[in-house]
Amino acid sequence: MMVASPLPAPCICFQVHQPYRLTSYDFFQIGQRSYYEDDELNQRMFSKVAEKCYLPAAQLFRRLIENSEGRFRIALSFTGVVLEQMADYRPDVLDSFCDLVATGGVEVLGETYYHSLASLYSPPEFQRQIGLHRAKVREVFGVEPKVFRNTELIYSNRIATEVESLGFRGVLAEGVPWIHPLSQVNSLAKAPGTKSVKTLLRNSFLSDDLAFRFSDKTWKGYPLTARDYCERLAGMHGQLLNIFMDFEAIGEHQGRDSGSFRFWEEFVSMYLERGGEFVTPSMAVTRFEVKSDYDCSHPTSWIDSERERSAWVGNAMQKEATLKIHGIEQAVMETGDPRLIHSWSKLQCSDHFHYMSSKVGSDGLVPRYSSPFETSYDAYIYFMNALADLQIRVDRINLARSFVV
Amino acid sequence: MKRTRVLMLGWEFPPAINGGLGVACHGLAKALASQVDLQVLVPQIDRDLPREGFELRGANEVTLQDLAATEKHYRYESFAEVESIPVSLDPYTSEESLLEKVVRGTKEWVEFSQTTSEHIGLFGNGDLYGDDLGMKVIQFSKIAAKLALQSDFDLIHAHDWMTWLAGVEVKRVTGKPLVVHLHASQYDRAGPDARGWIYDLEKLGMQEADRVIPVSHYTGRVVESHYGIERAKLRPIHNGAEPVSGGRIRRRFPEKVVLFLGRLTAQKGPEFFLEIAGKVIEREPAVRFVMAGTGDKLRQLIETGAFKGLGGRFHFTGFLTKEKVNELLSMTDVYCMPSVSEPFGLSALEAAQFGIPAVLSRQSGVAEVLQGALKADYWDTNLMAEHIVRLLTDRELRAKVVEQAAADIEAATWDAAARKVMKVYHELLS
Repeated sequence: MMVASPLPAPCICFQVHQPYRLTSYDFFQIGQRSYYEDDELNQRMFSKVAEKCYLPAAQLFRRLIENSEGRFRIALSFTGVVLEQMADYRPDVLDSFCDLVATGGVEVLGETYYHSLASLYSPPEFQRQIGLHRAKVREVFGVEPKVFRNTELIYSNRIATEVESLGFRGVLAEGVPWIHPLSQVNSLAKAPGTKSVKTLLRNSFLSDDLAFRFSDKTWKGYPLTARDYCERLAGMHGQLLNIFMDFEAIGEHQGRDSGSFRFWEEFVSMYLERGGEFVTPSMAVTRFEVKSDYDCSHPTSWIDSERERSAWVGNAMQKEATLKIHGIEQAVMETGDPRLIHSWSKLQCSDHFHYMSSKVGSDGLVPRYSSPFETSYDAYIYFMNALADLQIRVDRINLARSFVV
Repeated sequence: MKRTRVLMLGWEFPPAINGGLGVACHGLAKALASQVDLQVLVPQIDRDLPREGFELRGANEVTLQDLAATEKHYRYESFAEVESIPVSLDPYTSEESLLEKVVRGTKEWVEFSQTTSEHIGLFGNGDLYGDDLGMKVIQFSKIAAKLALQSDFDLIHAHDWMTWLAGVEVKRVTGKPLVVHLHASQYDRAGPDARGWIYDLEKLGMQEADRVIPVSHYTGRVVESHYGIERAKLRPIHNGAEPVSGGRIRRRFPEKVVLFLGRLTAQKGPEFFLEIAGKVIEREPAVRFVMAGTGDKLRQLIETGAFKGLGGRFHFTGFLTKEKVNELLSMTDVYCMPSVSEPFGLSALEAAQFGIPAVLSRQSGVAEVLQGALKADYWDTNLMAEHIVRLLTDRELRAKVVEQAAADIEAATWDAAARKVMKVYHELLS
């Protein structure tokens, strides 16, 4: 009897994130009100996603892991701000994720605490936020992240090197087809100049079938059945199939009516029945060898068709807002005021800049759908007003300090 | 002495106000009411509006019965043969009109003279402008003429081009003298190349009028040079301002505030304000610029501001209510009006009432009233910036400008304007 070659191992990583959306912070509030978030809206949004996605999906994965005899696993990447919101708004969601992690079938990944673009602007700030996130994950889940996953998969050779210096063994990246041959996406890669850190490249085709196209009736693959998807996976070249997406894709972006829960249940069971095994990123970097160099000199991401930074810094408003928020880092840090530093850090959340995107077509849909503001102009105006107020607070504290010193 | 009886034709009237026109008509009407028997006809009014010493009638309230007595005695043939009215006429748009010049009609009589309930219905929907503005202007003129034939008065006083066709029609059927009052012209809105239906109507109105009252000498020069109206007919009269008690509120941040207030259209020169802001902030970083208002240039201005890196110091408020405008004025340190062409500029007087020194475009009427205000050509952003910096840093100069402005606004009342208008009436009636 012939021994079948092992099936490729899917490595499924979910991003779990909700931003702190800002209020319509108009000019008249500057200097009057030092709080910029819309608590009511954030709570409502969080609860909506909790009911549609977090609770049922966490329960589903817990069951799948427990029934898999240790062969089904996933990785979760929580931002610091989503963990804060869980604790504040819905402790039941936090409990549910803790139970999921406690199954032992979940790896928790490293992140920036604030889901920020710090990796593009400031190595010290990037490091600070990774440190904060590490501490938060330790506190909440009692585990130590070993593999890093940057905001929206922002990645470059330089970022890989920085991540390596912080002790991570692996880093997630977008397998950008025009940078890396598709044939090599399904195996580990390595950034030039790094020694030990391994790069896991997202297979955008397999991932986006589930994350974006799943309920698209105009897609030629619609409807996607668990059987077809299993077939596709089983037939792939390579050992490692990196399927990375937003956790919210299940139940939220792809609503319950689309059959996404049933799909996941069937797909996982079917793949296991065929003898497949799922791996986590840490297992992957231990088990598999680096097959190629992945030379990515400019930052890439998983966002938009360009797969780079233009979702956050594509237009003049975004460029100014990102430069200004990062430009005051030193002054903010000098205040030594933890509340103020936290306020500033939350304003770094990449979602704020995404809402300012003026892209049209399919890439313009996501920011408009998810933004609390009607237009990118409103998103810019209210952000800049909030930043002006923050700057006033910073100046006030630093001025007072200069008299004391 | 018998009181003069005046038929006034207005377009915007409180509470239906889009710009300064409604405010000015209302202010003048109230002040004139004590000296003349005044009946005001506007396209639409609110039934519950309080009466203020003059008779106020809305075309929306007119019935076909009201017009029946004179319906057969009136023929509309004055201005032009119009078969269809081009769409999108808007007095506030800054884009140049692409309409063909309309030629004077040749047909003798058309059934066009008849007023139907549909025509009256044009004035009931709350929108004074819109796509059917041309039709509104014509129907308003027919209704005005038919009502005028049933009424007794000594002269006609019509505000801006929307009512001038009506003024010309009423003059034609009654033979009474016509005074046209110019608050804003197509030259201001669309620049020196503006031609088209509105321009033609403005020119016709001023040609047919016995006197033209521009709201400033600046606008008088436009009327003379751009519309070719003879100087002898012009009687520039400045607007007044309702007294407001403007206070100051506690500073909310250390930076001083420079304010632009107005529609964000080419006429108001908002892009010059952005440029000025950049130049001031270079020299005096502790300043915030506020652009209050909205308009077709808003998005472009936001992007330009971001491109120049002014965000965080340059704030857009969007449209503001009167209360919010007052709150803003009470925290403003310098008022800046860089209008490309501003017939008057009432908002600068309102700012002066809050004790705010102003930097004004020389191409504005209000610059003639606020004699102490610092002035520059609208395009001279260096000088504008220089003026602002001086007002922010030189306390003595600032005090002088504010003091002079206080004296100027004391004299700038609607009663003073009404006295001058009375003189014009007397010229025509004596």
